[in-house]
Amino acid sequence: MSAAVDYFRGPWHIAVFTWREGIRKKTLVGFLILSLLVIFASFFMSSFLNQTTGGGQVETEIDGKLIKDICVATISIFGMLITIFISASVVPNEVENKVVYTVLSKPVRRMQYLLGKFLGVQMIVLANLALMTALFLIAIYMRQDEFPKLLLWSALLTYFEFLVVSAFTFAISCSATSAVLPTIGGLFIYLIGNLTEYLKDVSLRSDEADFVNALIGNVASALHKTLPNLQKFSIKTEILDLNPGAPLPAHVYEQIPNLIIYGLAYAVSGYVIAYWVFRRKEL
Amino acid sequence: MSVVIETKGLSKIYESSFRGQDVYALKELDLTVNSGEIFAYLGPNGSGKTTTIKMLLGLIFPTAGSIEILGLKDIASAKVRQNIGYLPEGAYYPDFLRGEEILRFYGQLYGLSGKKLETRISEVLEEVGMTHARRRMLRGYSKGMRQRIGLAQALISDPQILILDEPTTGLDPIARKEMRDILARLRDRGKTLMISSHELLEVELISDRAGILYQGEVQKIGTIDELLTDRDLTIEVESASEEVLGTLAEKGITPEDKIEGKLILRVPNDMNSYDALNICKEQQLNLVAVAPRRETLEELFVRTVGEAQNRSTT
Repeated sequence: MSAAVDYFRGPWHIAVFTWREGIRKKTLVGFLILSLLVIFASFFMSSFLNQTTGGGQVETEIDGKLIKDICVATISIFGMLITIFISASVVPNEVENKVVYTVLSKPVRRMQYLLGKFLGVQMIVLANLALMTALFLIAIYMRQDEFPKLLLWSALLTYFEFLVVSAFTFAISCSATSAVLPTIGGLFIYLIGNLTEYLKDVSLRSDEADFVNALIGNVASALHKTLPNLQKFSIKTEILDLNPGAPLPAHVYEQIPNLIIYGLAYAVSGYVIAYWVFRRKEL
Repeated sequence: MSVVIETKGLSKIYESSFRGQDVYALKELDLTVNSGEIFAYLGPNGSGKTTTIKMLLGLIFPTAGSIEILGLKDIASAKVRQNIGYLPEGAYYPDFLRGEEILRFYGQLYGLSGKKLETRISEVLEEVGMTHARRRMLRGYSKGMRQRIGLAQALISDPQILILDEPTTGLDPIARKEMRDILARLRDRGKTLMISSHELLEVELISDRAGILYQGEVQKIGTIDELLTDRDLTIEVESASEEVLGTLAEKGITPEDKIEGKLILRVPNDMNSYDALNICKEQQLNLVAVAPRRETLEELFVRTVGEAQNRSTT
Protein backbone atom coordinates (compact mmCIF):
# COMPACT_ATOMS: atom_id res chain seq x y z
CA MET A 1 0.00 0.00 0.00
CA SER A 2 2.79 2.36 1.03
CA ALA A 3 4.74 1.55 -2.16
CA ALA A 4 1.67 2.35 -4.26
CA VAL A 5 1.15 5.65 -2.41
CA ASP A 6 4.84 6.48 -2.93
CA TYR A 7 4.56 5.63 -6.61
CA PHE A 8 1.60 7.93 -7.20
CA ARG A 9 2.89 10.77 -5.04
CA GLY A 10 5.22 12.06 -7.78
CA PRO A 11 2.57 11.96 -10.54
CA TRP A 12 0.12 13.72 -8.22
CA HIS A 13 2.52 16.62 -7.58
CA ILE A 14 3.25 16.85 -11.32
CA ALA A 15 -0.49 16.85 -12.04
CA VAL A 16 -1.09 19.71 -9.59
CA PHE A 17 1.84 21.64 -11.09
CA THR A 18 0.42 21.05 -14.61
CA TRP A 19 -3.00 22.20 -13.47
CA ARG A 20 -1.67 25.36 -11.87
CA GLU A 21 0.31 26.22 -14.96
CA GLY A 22 -2.39 25.16 -17.42
CA ILE A 23 -5.19 27.29 -16.03
CA ARG A 24 -3.03 30.35 -16.62
CA LYS A 25 -2.46 29.71 -20.32
CA LYS A 26 -3.76 32.72 -22.22
CA THR A 27 -5.14 30.70 -25.15
CA LEU A 28 -7.04 28.44 -22.81
CA VAL A 29 -8.43 31.30 -20.76
CA GLY A 30 -9.41 33.02 -24.03
CA PHE A 31 -11.34 29.97 -25.24
CA LEU A 32 -13.02 29.64 -21.87
CA ILE A 33 -14.08 33.30 -21.70
CA LEU A 34 -15.44 33.09 -25.26
CA SER A 35 -17.43 29.96 -24.47
CA LEU A 36 -18.83 31.46 -21.27
CA LEU A 37 -19.81 34.59 -23.18
CA VAL A 38 -21.67 32.53 -25.79
CA ILE A 39 -23.49 30.54 -23.08
CA PHE A 40 -24.36 33.76 -21.30
CA ALA A 41 -25.49 35.33 -24.60
CA SER A 42 -27.82 32.38 -25.27
CA PHE A 43 -29.71 33.27 -22.12
CA PHE A 44 -30.15 36.87 -23.24
CA MET A 45 -31.15 35.84 -26.74
CA SER A 46 -33.86 33.61 -25.31
CA SER A 47 -35.07 36.46 -23.06
CA PHE A 48 -35.33 38.68 -26.10
CA LEU A 49 -37.37 36.05 -27.97
CA ASN A 50 -39.62 35.65 -24.95
CA GLN A 51 -40.48 39.34 -24.97
CA THR A 52 -41.27 39.39 -28.69
CA THR A 53 -43.48 36.29 -28.62
CA GLY A 54 -45.36 37.26 -25.51
CA GLY A 55 -44.28 34.40 -23.20
CA GLY A 56 -46.13 31.25 -22.19
CA GLN A 57 -45.31 27.55 -21.77
CA VAL A 58 -44.60 26.89 -25.46
CA GLU A 59 -42.25 29.85 -25.68
CA THR A 60 -40.43 28.73 -22.54
CA GLU A 61 -39.83 25.33 -24.13
CA ILE A 62 -38.62 27.00 -27.34
CA ASP A 63 -36.32 29.23 -25.29
CA GLY A 64 -35.03 26.20 -23.42
CA LYS A 65 -34.32 24.42 -26.72
CA LEU A 66 -32.51 27.50 -28.04
CA ILE A 67 -30.35 27.73 -24.93
CA LYS A 68 -29.64 23.99 -25.06
CA ASP A 69 -28.68 24.03 -28.73
CA ILE A 70 -26.37 27.01 -28.37
CA CYS A 71 -24.83 25.77 -25.13
CA VAL A 72 -24.31 22.20 -26.33
CA ALA A 73 -22.66 23.43 -29.51
CA THR A 74 -20.50 25.85 -27.50
CA ILE A 75 -19.43 23.25 -24.96
CA SER A 76 -18.69 20.74 -27.72
CA ILE A 77 -16.67 23.14 -29.84
CA PHE A 78 -14.83 25.15 -27.18
CA GLY A 79 -14.52 22.21 -24.83
CA MET A 80 -12.97 20.12 -27.57
CA LEU A 81 -10.64 22.97 -28.62
CA ILE A 82 -9.50 23.44 -25.01
CA THR A 83 -9.03 19.68 -24.64
CA ILE A 84 -6.99 19.40 -27.84
CA PHE A 85 -4.96 22.52 -27.15
CA ILE A 86 -3.99 21.56 -23.61
CA SER A 87 -3.39 17.87 -24.42
CA ALA A 88 -1.20 18.84 -27.37
CA SER A 89 0.93 21.36 -25.54
CA VAL A 90 1.84 20.24 -22.02
CA VAL A 91 4.64 17.81 -22.91
CA PRO A 92 6.20 19.64 -25.93
CA ASN A 93 6.21 22.91 -23.95
CA GLU A 94 8.04 21.30 -21.05
CA VAL A 95 10.60 19.80 -23.39
CA GLU A 96 11.07 23.18 -25.05
CA ASN A 97 11.50 25.15 -21.82
CA LYS A 98 13.59 22.37 -20.22
CA VAL A 99 11.36 21.84 -17.18
CA VAL A 100 11.27 18.18 -18.19
CA TYR A 101 15.06 17.97 -17.62
CA THR A 102 14.79 19.14 -14.04
CA VAL A 103 11.82 16.85 -13.34
CA LEU A 104 13.25 13.69 -14.94
CA SER A 105 16.60 14.19 -13.21
CA LYS A 106 14.73 13.69 -9.94
CA PRO A 107 13.55 10.25 -8.75
CA VAL A 108 10.69 10.33 -11.26
CA ARG A 109 10.31 7.64 -13.92
CA ARG A 110 9.08 8.58 -17.36
CA MET A 111 5.90 6.57 -16.73
CA GLN A 112 5.22 8.63 -13.60
CA TYR A 113 5.99 11.88 -15.38
CA LEU A 114 3.54 11.12 -18.18
CA LEU A 115 0.92 9.96 -15.72
CA GLY A 116 1.24 13.25 -13.85
CA LYS A 117 1.00 15.31 -17.02
CA PHE A 118 -2.00 13.32 -18.25
CA LEU A 119 -3.79 13.65 -14.90
CA GLY A 120 -3.05 17.37 -14.90
CA VAL A 121 -4.56 17.70 -18.39
CA GLN A 122 -7.68 15.86 -17.25
CA MET A 123 -8.02 18.15 -14.23
CA ILE A 124 -7.93 21.17 -16.55
CA VAL A 125 -10.40 19.62 -19.02
CA LEU A 126 -12.76 18.66 -16.19
CA ALA A 127 -12.59 22.09 -14.57
CA ASN A 128 -13.37 23.83 -17.86
CA LEU A 129 -16.22 21.47 -18.59
CA ALA A 130 -17.57 21.90 -15.07
CA LEU A 131 -17.51 25.68 -15.40
CA MET A 132 -19.24 25.70 -18.78
CA THR A 133 -21.80 23.12 -17.63
CA ALA A 134 -22.53 25.08 -14.45
CA LEU A 135 -23.33 28.19 -16.46
CA PHE A 136 -25.41 26.10 -18.86
CA LEU A 137 -27.39 24.63 -15.96
CA ILE A 138 -27.98 28.07 -14.48
CA ALA A 139 -29.19 29.41 -17.83
CA ILE A 140 -31.65 26.52 -18.22
CA TYR A 141 -32.78 26.73 -14.59
CA MET A 142 -33.47 30.45 -14.89
CA ARG A 143 -35.52 29.88 -18.03
CA GLN A 144 -37.42 26.71 -17.05
CA ASP A 145 -37.54 26.99 -13.25
CA GLU A 146 -36.50 23.39 -12.88
CA PHE A 147 -33.05 22.02 -12.12
CA PRO A 148 -32.04 20.05 -15.23
CA LYS A 149 -30.49 16.99 -13.54
CA LEU A 150 -30.40 15.07 -16.80
CA LEU A 151 -27.89 17.50 -18.21
CA LEU A 152 -25.34 16.20 -15.71
CA TRP A 153 -25.45 12.81 -17.45
CA SER A 154 -24.92 14.58 -20.74
CA ALA A 155 -21.94 16.47 -19.30
CA LEU A 156 -20.49 13.22 -17.97
CA LEU A 157 -20.63 11.61 -21.41
CA THR A 158 -19.18 14.76 -22.96
CA TYR A 159 -16.19 14.41 -20.63
CA PHE A 160 -15.56 10.81 -21.71
CA GLU A 161 -15.74 11.91 -25.34
CA PHE A 162 -13.13 14.58 -24.55
CA LEU A 163 -11.07 12.00 -22.68
CA VAL A 164 -10.72 9.79 -25.75
CA VAL A 165 -9.60 12.70 -27.95
CA SER A 166 -7.34 13.99 -25.18
CA ALA A 167 -5.56 10.63 -24.73
CA PHE A 168 -4.72 10.24 -28.42
CA THR A 169 -3.72 13.89 -28.81
CA PHE A 170 -1.48 13.44 -25.77
CA ALA A 171 0.07 10.34 -27.38
CA ILE A 172 0.88 12.31 -30.54
CA SER A 173 2.32 15.16 -28.46
CA CYS A 174 4.79 12.77 -26.83
CA SER A 175 6.50 12.22 -30.15
CA ALA A 176 6.37 15.87 -31.24
CA THR A 177 8.77 18.73 -30.65
CA SER A 178 6.12 21.45 -30.75
CA ALA A 179 2.39 21.70 -30.05
CA VAL A 180 1.44 22.41 -33.68
CA LEU A 181 1.49 18.87 -35.04
CA PRO A 182 -0.36 17.33 -32.06
CA THR A 183 -3.02 20.06 -32.27
CA ILE A 184 -3.64 19.22 -35.92
CA GLY A 185 -3.52 15.53 -34.97
CA GLY A 186 -6.11 16.11 -32.23
CA LEU A 187 -8.49 17.82 -34.63
CA PHE A 188 -7.95 14.96 -37.07
CA ILE A 189 -8.74 12.39 -34.36
CA TYR A 190 -11.93 14.26 -33.51
CA LEU A 191 -12.91 14.28 -37.17
CA ILE A 192 -12.04 10.62 -37.74
CA GLY A 193 -13.78 9.66 -34.50
CA ASN A 194 -16.98 11.17 -35.81
CA LEU A 195 -16.66 9.46 -39.19
CA THR A 196 -15.86 5.96 -37.90
CA GLU A 197 -19.49 4.95 -38.25
CA TYR A 198 -19.25 5.46 -42.01
CA LEU A 199 -16.42 2.90 -42.18
CA LYS A 200 -18.98 0.28 -41.21
CA ASP A 201 -21.06 1.25 -44.25
CA VAL A 202 -17.99 0.99 -46.46
CA SER A 203 -17.23 -2.53 -45.19
CA LEU A 204 -20.86 -3.62 -45.56
CA ARG A 205 -21.09 -2.32 -49.11
CA SER A 206 -17.81 -3.87 -50.31
CA ASP A 207 -18.04 -6.53 -52.96
CA GLU A 208 -16.34 -9.74 -51.75
CA ALA A 209 -15.89 -10.98 -55.33
CA ASP A 210 -13.66 -8.08 -56.36
CA PHE A 211 -10.21 -8.27 -54.71
CA VAL A 212 -9.58 -4.51 -54.40
CA ASN A 213 -13.11 -3.87 -53.25
CA ALA A 214 -12.87 -6.65 -50.68
CA LEU A 215 -9.52 -5.34 -49.46
CA ILE A 216 -10.96 -1.85 -48.98
CA GLY A 217 -13.90 -3.42 -47.18
CA ASN A 218 -11.61 -5.40 -44.84
CA VAL A 219 -9.43 -2.36 -44.10
CA ALA A 220 -12.55 -0.27 -43.39
CA SER A 221 -13.87 -3.02 -41.14
CA ALA A 222 -10.57 -3.25 -39.25
CA LEU A 223 -10.44 0.53 -38.83
CA HIS A 224 -14.04 0.59 -37.68
CA LYS A 225 -13.23 -1.96 -35.01
CA THR A 226 -10.02 -0.25 -33.80
CA LEU A 227 -10.60 3.49 -34.14
CA PRO A 228 -12.60 5.24 -31.44
CA ASN A 229 -16.17 5.91 -32.45
CA LEU A 230 -17.18 9.24 -30.97
CA GLN A 231 -20.66 8.90 -32.44
CA LYS A 232 -21.36 6.44 -29.63
CA PHE A 233 -21.42 9.43 -27.31
CA SER A 234 -24.14 11.12 -29.37
CA ILE A 235 -26.61 9.65 -26.88
CA LYS A 236 -25.86 12.78 -24.86
CA THR A 237 -27.91 14.84 -27.35
CA GLU A 238 -30.77 12.40 -26.91
CA ILE A 239 -30.63 13.14 -23.18
CA LEU A 240 -30.78 16.88 -23.89
CA ASP A 241 -34.01 16.51 -25.82
CA LEU A 242 -35.75 14.93 -22.83
CA ASN A 243 -37.78 16.90 -20.35
CA PRO A 244 -35.20 18.09 -17.75
CA GLY A 245 -37.29 16.81 -14.86
CA ALA A 246 -38.06 13.43 -16.44
CA PRO A 247 -36.28 10.26 -15.32
CA LEU A 248 -33.54 8.88 -17.53
CA PRO A 249 -34.98 6.27 -19.91
CA ALA A 250 -33.81 2.72 -19.13
CA HIS A 251 -32.14 2.12 -22.53
CA VAL A 252 -30.08 5.32 -22.08
CA TYR A 253 -29.27 4.50 -18.46
CA GLU A 254 -28.00 1.05 -19.45
CA GLN A 255 -25.67 2.49 -22.06
CA ILE A 256 -23.91 4.94 -19.76
CA PRO A 257 -21.64 2.44 -17.90
CA ASN A 258 -20.67 0.86 -21.23
CA LEU A 259 -19.79 4.25 -22.68
CA ILE A 260 -17.72 5.10 -19.61
CA ILE A 261 -15.82 1.81 -19.94
CA TYR A 262 -15.47 2.44 -23.68
CA GLY A 263 -14.02 5.91 -23.03
CA LEU A 264 -11.69 4.64 -20.31
CA ALA A 265 -10.45 1.77 -22.49
CA TYR A 266 -9.51 4.15 -25.29
CA ALA A 267 -7.96 6.58 -22.80
CA VAL A 268 -5.77 3.79 -21.39
CA SER A 269 -4.82 2.77 -24.96
CA GLY A 270 -3.87 6.38 -25.72
CA TYR A 271 -1.81 6.58 -22.54
CA VAL A 272 -0.03 3.29 -23.32
CA ILE A 273 0.86 4.59 -26.80
CA ALA A 274 2.07 7.85 -25.22
CA TYR A 275 4.34 5.93 -22.84
CA TRP A 276 5.58 3.61 -25.58
CA VAL A 277 6.57 6.68 -27.64
CA PHE A 278 8.05 8.60 -24.70
CA ARG A 279 9.93 5.86 -22.86
CA ARG A 280 12.95 5.99 -25.21
CA LYS A 281 12.46 9.52 -26.50
CA GLU A 282 15.67 11.50 -26.66
CA LEU A 283 15.05 14.72 -24.76
CA MET B 1 39.30 9.94 -3.27
CA SER B 2 36.52 7.76 -4.67
CA VAL B 3 35.13 7.96 -8.17
CA VAL B 4 31.48 9.09 -8.25
CA ILE B 5 30.96 9.34 -12.01
CA GLU B 6 32.66 7.02 -14.48
CA THR B 7 32.06 6.56 -18.18
CA LYS B 8 33.78 3.90 -20.27
CA GLY B 9 33.79 4.03 -24.06
CA LEU B 10 30.69 6.21 -23.98
CA SER B 11 29.56 7.00 -27.52
CA LYS B 12 26.61 8.73 -29.05
CA ILE B 13 25.94 8.58 -32.77
CA TYR B 14 23.03 10.38 -34.38
CA GLU B 15 22.07 8.46 -37.47
CA SER B 16 21.36 10.54 -40.52
CA SER B 17 17.83 10.22 -41.84
CA PHE B 18 18.72 10.82 -45.44
CA ARG B 19 21.63 8.47 -46.04
CA GLY B 20 24.08 11.19 -45.13
CA GLN B 21 26.98 10.78 -42.74
CA ASP B 22 26.22 9.73 -39.18
CA VAL B 23 27.01 12.42 -36.63
CA TYR B 24 29.35 11.39 -33.81
CA ALA B 25 28.27 13.51 -30.87
CA LEU B 26 30.55 11.58 -28.51
CA LYS B 27 33.35 9.14 -29.29
CA GLU B 28 34.35 6.50 -26.74
CA LEU B 29 34.50 8.87 -23.82
CA ASP B 30 36.40 7.66 -20.78
CA LEU B 31 35.74 10.07 -17.97
CA THR B 32 35.96 10.05 -14.22
CA VAL B 33 34.77 12.58 -11.71
CA ASN B 34 36.07 12.18 -8.19
CA SER B 35 34.26 12.71 -4.95
CA GLY B 36 34.53 16.19 -3.48
CA GLU B 37 36.04 17.93 -6.49
CA ILE B 38 34.90 20.57 -8.93
CA PHE B 39 35.34 19.12 -12.38
CA ALA B 40 35.16 21.61 -15.24
CA TYR B 41 33.79 20.07 -18.39
CA LEU B 42 34.86 22.37 -21.20
CA GLY B 43 34.53 22.53 -24.94
CA PRO B 44 33.26 24.73 -27.75
CA ASN B 45 29.59 24.64 -28.77
CA GLY B 46 28.64 21.28 -30.25
CA SER B 47 31.60 19.47 -28.71
CA GLY B 48 29.41 17.00 -26.80
CA LYS B 49 29.26 18.48 -23.28
CA THR B 50 25.49 18.66 -23.03
CA THR B 51 25.20 15.26 -24.74
CA THR B 52 27.36 13.75 -21.99
CA ILE B 53 25.36 15.44 -19.25
CA LYS B 54 22.06 14.32 -20.74
CA MET B 55 23.33 10.75 -20.90
CA LEU B 56 24.42 10.90 -17.26
CA LEU B 57 20.90 11.99 -16.38
CA GLY B 58 19.18 9.40 -18.57
CA LEU B 59 17.59 12.04 -20.80
CA ILE B 60 19.19 10.53 -23.89
CA PHE B 61 20.63 7.07 -24.36
CA PRO B 62 24.18 6.00 -25.29
CA THR B 63 24.87 4.24 -28.57
CA ALA B 64 27.72 2.36 -26.88
CA GLY B 65 29.67 2.32 -23.64
CA SER B 66 28.71 2.38 -20.01
CA ILE B 67 27.99 4.83 -17.21
CA GLU B 68 28.41 4.27 -13.51
CA ILE B 69 27.26 6.76 -10.94
CA LEU B 70 28.08 6.15 -7.28
CA GLY B 71 29.15 2.67 -8.35
CA LEU B 72 25.74 1.85 -9.83
CA LYS B 73 25.06 1.03 -13.47
CA ASP B 74 21.33 1.68 -13.09
CA ILE B 75 21.55 5.44 -13.35
CA ALA B 76 17.76 5.76 -13.21
CA SER B 77 17.63 4.10 -9.80
CA ALA B 78 16.20 6.07 -6.90
CA LYS B 79 19.54 5.92 -5.05
CA VAL B 80 21.34 7.64 -7.93
CA ARG B 81 18.59 10.16 -8.58
CA GLN B 82 18.36 11.08 -4.89
CA ASN B 83 22.03 11.98 -5.04
CA ILE B 84 22.11 14.05 -8.20
CA GLY B 85 21.11 17.67 -8.51
CA TYR B 86 20.93 19.18 -11.97
CA LEU B 87 20.83 22.77 -13.14
CA PRO B 88 20.19 22.94 -16.90
CA GLU B 89 21.29 25.88 -18.99
CA GLY B 90 18.59 28.53 -19.36
CA ALA B 91 15.88 26.51 -17.62
CA TYR B 92 12.45 28.08 -17.24
CA TYR B 93 10.56 28.23 -13.99
CA PRO B 94 6.91 29.34 -14.01
CA ASP B 95 6.58 33.08 -13.41
CA PHE B 96 3.42 32.79 -11.34
CA LEU B 97 5.10 30.75 -8.62
CA ARG B 98 7.01 32.07 -5.64
CA GLY B 99 10.59 31.01 -5.03
CA GLU B 100 9.63 28.74 -2.16
CA GLU B 101 6.79 27.17 -4.19
CA ILE B 102 9.22 26.10 -6.91
CA LEU B 103 11.39 24.46 -4.29
CA ARG B 104 8.37 22.83 -2.65
CA PHE B 105 7.41 21.24 -5.97
CA TYR B 106 10.89 19.86 -6.62
CA GLY B 107 11.27 18.77 -3.00
CA GLN B 108 8.01 16.84 -3.23
CA LEU B 109 9.39 14.96 -6.23
CA TYR B 110 12.13 13.68 -3.93
CA GLY B 111 9.48 12.47 -1.51
CA LEU B 112 10.10 15.27 0.97
CA SER B 113 7.09 16.62 2.82
CA GLY B 114 5.91 18.45 5.91
CA LYS B 115 8.35 20.03 8.32
CA LYS B 116 11.34 18.26 6.78
CA LEU B 117 10.59 19.83 3.40
CA GLU B 118 10.02 23.30 4.86
CA THR B 119 13.28 23.09 6.83
CA ARG B 120 15.14 21.99 3.72
CA ILE B 121 13.62 24.84 1.67
CA SER B 122 14.84 27.34 4.27
CA GLU B 123 18.31 25.76 4.27
CA VAL B 124 18.80 25.85 0.51
CA LEU B 125 17.42 29.38 0.24
CA GLU B 126 19.96 30.39 2.88
CA GLU B 127 22.66 28.48 1.02
CA VAL B 128 22.04 30.39 -2.23
CA GLY B 129 21.33 33.71 -0.52
CA MET B 130 17.67 33.93 -1.49
CA THR B 131 15.93 33.90 1.88
CA HIS B 132 14.86 37.53 1.42
CA ALA B 133 13.01 36.71 -1.84
CA ARG B 134 11.41 33.40 -0.91
CA ARG B 135 7.86 34.76 -1.08
CA ARG B 136 8.38 36.86 -4.17
CA MET B 137 6.90 35.75 -7.50
CA LEU B 138 9.48 34.60 -10.02
CA ARG B 139 8.36 37.28 -12.45
CA GLY B 140 10.01 39.78 -10.11
CA TYR B 141 13.34 37.94 -10.08
CA SER B 142 16.46 39.11 -11.88
CA LYS B 143 18.40 36.65 -14.04
CA GLY B 144 20.89 36.08 -11.24
CA MET B 145 18.07 35.35 -8.77
CA ARG B 146 16.48 32.88 -11.18
CA GLN B 147 19.80 31.13 -11.56
CA ARG B 148 20.13 30.90 -7.79
CA ILE B 149 16.65 29.43 -7.49
CA GLY B 150 17.69 26.97 -10.21
CA LEU B 151 20.68 26.02 -8.10
CA ALA B 152 18.45 25.77 -5.03
CA GLN B 153 16.15 23.27 -6.78
CA ALA B 154 19.23 21.22 -7.66
CA LEU B 155 20.27 21.26 -4.00
CA ILE B 156 16.88 20.53 -2.45
CA SER B 157 17.56 16.84 -1.76
CA ASP B 158 21.05 17.62 -0.41
CA PRO B 159 22.60 15.56 -3.24
CA GLN B 160 26.15 14.30 -3.27
CA ILE B 161 26.66 15.23 -6.94
CA LEU B 162 25.75 18.49 -8.67
CA ILE B 163 25.74 18.74 -12.45
CA LEU B 164 25.60 22.35 -13.56
CA ASP B 165 25.26 23.40 -17.19
CA GLU B 166 26.49 26.97 -17.71
CA PRO B 167 25.74 28.15 -14.17
CA THR B 168 27.19 31.64 -14.65
CA THR B 169 26.25 32.41 -18.24
CA GLY B 170 24.43 35.71 -18.67
CA LEU B 171 25.10 36.87 -15.12
CA ASP B 172 26.64 40.23 -14.31
CA PRO B 173 30.11 40.27 -12.70
CA ILE B 174 28.76 40.58 -9.16
CA ALA B 175 26.23 37.76 -9.62
CA ARG B 176 28.99 35.64 -11.21
CA LYS B 177 31.27 36.21 -8.24
CA GLU B 178 28.45 35.33 -5.84
CA MET B 179 27.63 32.17 -7.78
CA ARG B 180 31.32 31.22 -7.80
CA ASP B 181 31.49 31.67 -4.04
CA ILE B 182 28.41 29.47 -3.57
CA LEU B 183 29.92 26.73 -5.73
CA ALA B 184 33.22 26.88 -3.86
CA ARG B 185 31.35 26.63 -0.55
CA LEU B 186 29.49 23.58 -1.79
CA ARG B 187 32.76 21.92 -2.74
CA ASP B 188 34.16 22.75 0.70
CA ARG B 189 31.14 21.01 2.20
CA GLY B 190 32.11 17.83 0.36
CA LYS B 191 29.84 18.05 -2.68
CA THR B 192 31.06 16.90 -6.08
CA LEU B 193 30.44 19.42 -8.84
CA MET B 194 30.59 18.81 -12.56
CA ILE B 195 30.38 22.16 -14.31
CA SER B 196 29.99 22.70 -18.02
CA SER B 197 30.91 26.27 -18.86
CA HIS B 198 32.28 28.72 -21.38
CA GLU B 199 33.30 31.12 -18.62
CA LEU B 200 36.86 29.88 -18.46
CA LEU B 201 38.21 32.54 -16.13
CA GLU B 202 35.50 31.69 -13.60
CA VAL B 203 36.09 27.99 -13.96
CA GLU B 204 39.85 28.30 -13.53
CA LEU B 205 39.38 30.07 -10.23
CA ILE B 206 37.36 27.31 -8.58
CA SER B 207 37.99 24.03 -10.42
CA ASP B 208 40.18 21.20 -9.24
CA ARG B 209 40.20 19.27 -12.50
CA ALA B 210 39.19 20.01 -16.06
CA GLY B 211 38.54 18.15 -19.27
CA ILE B 212 38.53 19.74 -22.70
CA LEU B 213 36.25 18.18 -25.26
CA TYR B 214 36.30 18.74 -29.01
CA GLN B 215 34.09 16.98 -31.55
CA GLY B 216 33.06 14.38 -29.02
CA GLU B 217 36.58 13.46 -27.94
CA VAL B 218 38.52 14.39 -24.83
CA GLN B 219 41.56 16.37 -25.90
CA LYS B 220 43.02 17.08 -22.47
CA ILE B 221 42.07 16.08 -18.96
CA GLY B 222 43.77 16.52 -15.60
CA THR B 223 44.09 18.72 -12.57
CA ILE B 224 44.36 22.43 -13.22
CA ASP B 225 48.04 22.34 -12.14
CA GLU B 226 48.77 19.43 -14.47
CA LEU B 227 47.09 21.14 -17.39
CA LEU B 228 48.56 24.59 -16.91
CA THR B 229 52.23 23.58 -16.85
CA ASP B 230 53.31 25.97 -19.56
CA ARG B 231 54.99 28.74 -17.63
CA ASP B 232 56.83 31.56 -19.32
CA LEU B 233 58.19 34.92 -18.44
CA THR B 234 56.90 38.42 -18.92
CA ILE B 235 59.17 41.43 -18.97
CA GLU B 236 57.73 44.89 -18.39
CA VAL B 237 59.68 47.72 -20.05
CA GLU B 238 59.23 51.49 -20.33
CA SER B 239 58.74 51.51 -24.10
CA ALA B 240 60.29 50.21 -27.30
CA SER B 241 60.50 51.45 -30.86
CA GLU B 242 59.01 49.51 -33.77
CA GLU B 243 62.54 48.66 -34.89
CA VAL B 244 63.45 47.20 -31.49
CA LEU B 245 60.19 45.27 -31.34
CA GLY B 246 61.01 43.79 -34.74
CA THR B 247 64.42 42.66 -33.48
CA LEU B 248 62.87 41.15 -30.35
CA ALA B 249 60.24 39.34 -32.38
CA GLU B 250 62.95 37.73 -34.51
CA LYS B 251 64.30 36.23 -31.28
CA GLY B 252 60.86 35.05 -30.11
CA ILE B 253 60.07 37.83 -27.64
CA THR B 254 56.69 39.29 -28.49
CA PRO B 255 54.71 42.26 -27.16
CA GLU B 256 51.69 41.00 -25.26
CA ASP B 257 50.02 44.05 -23.78
CA LYS B 258 50.43 47.74 -22.99
CA ILE B 259 49.40 48.88 -19.53
CA GLU B 260 49.64 52.55 -18.47
CA GLY B 261 52.28 53.27 -21.10
CA LYS B 262 54.39 50.28 -20.05
CA LEU B 263 54.99 47.49 -22.53
CA ILE B 264 54.60 43.85 -21.49
CA LEU B 265 56.85 41.47 -23.43
CA ARG B 266 56.27 37.74 -23.44
CA VAL B 267 59.22 35.39 -23.42
CA PRO B 268 58.68 31.89 -24.84
CA ASN B 269 59.01 29.12 -22.28
CA ASP B 270 61.91 27.45 -24.13
CA MET B 271 64.11 30.55 -23.80
CA ASN B 272 66.44 30.95 -20.87
CA SER B 273 65.39 33.85 -18.64
CA TYR B 274 68.93 35.30 -18.52
CA ASP B 275 69.16 35.16 -22.32
CA ALA B 276 65.90 37.08 -22.57
CA LEU B 277 67.11 39.72 -20.12
CA ASN B 278 70.40 40.04 -22.02
CA ILE B 279 68.52 40.62 -25.27
CA CYS B 280 66.52 43.40 -23.62
CA LYS B 281 69.74 44.88 -22.22
CA GLU B 282 71.38 44.78 -25.67
CA GLN B 283 68.41 46.72 -27.03
CA GLN B 284 68.87 49.26 -24.20
CA LEU B 285 65.34 48.79 -22.89
CA ASN B 286 64.46 50.18 -19.45
CA LEU B 287 63.26 47.22 -17.39
CA VAL B 288 60.39 47.84 -14.98
CA ALA B 289 59.55 44.32 -13.83
CA VAL B 290 60.18 40.66 -14.58
CA ALA B 291 57.52 38.13 -13.63
CA PRO B 292 56.83 34.46 -14.22
CA ARG B 293 53.63 33.83 -16.09
CA ARG B 294 51.42 30.75 -16.13
CA GLU B 295 49.27 29.92 -19.13
CA THR B 296 45.61 30.55 -18.37
CA LEU B 297 42.88 27.99 -18.84
CA GLU B 298 41.49 30.17 -21.60
CA GLU B 299 44.81 30.10 -23.45
CA LEU B 300 45.11 26.36 -22.97
CA PHE B 301 41.54 25.94 -24.23
CA VAL B 302 42.12 28.04 -27.35
CA ARG B 303 45.43 26.29 -28.04
CA THR B 304 43.98 22.80 -27.50
CA VAL B 305 40.90 23.40 -29.62
CA GLY B 306 43.04 25.06 -32.32
CA GLU B 307 45.36 22.06 -32.42
CA ALA B 308 42.41 19.68 -32.59
CA GLN B 309 40.87 21.73 -35.41
CA ASN B 310 44.13 21.62 -37.34
CA ARG B 311 44.38 17.85 -36.87
CA SER B 312 40.82 17.34 -38.08
CA THR B 313 41.29 19.45 -41.19
CA THR B 314 44.59 17.84 -42.26
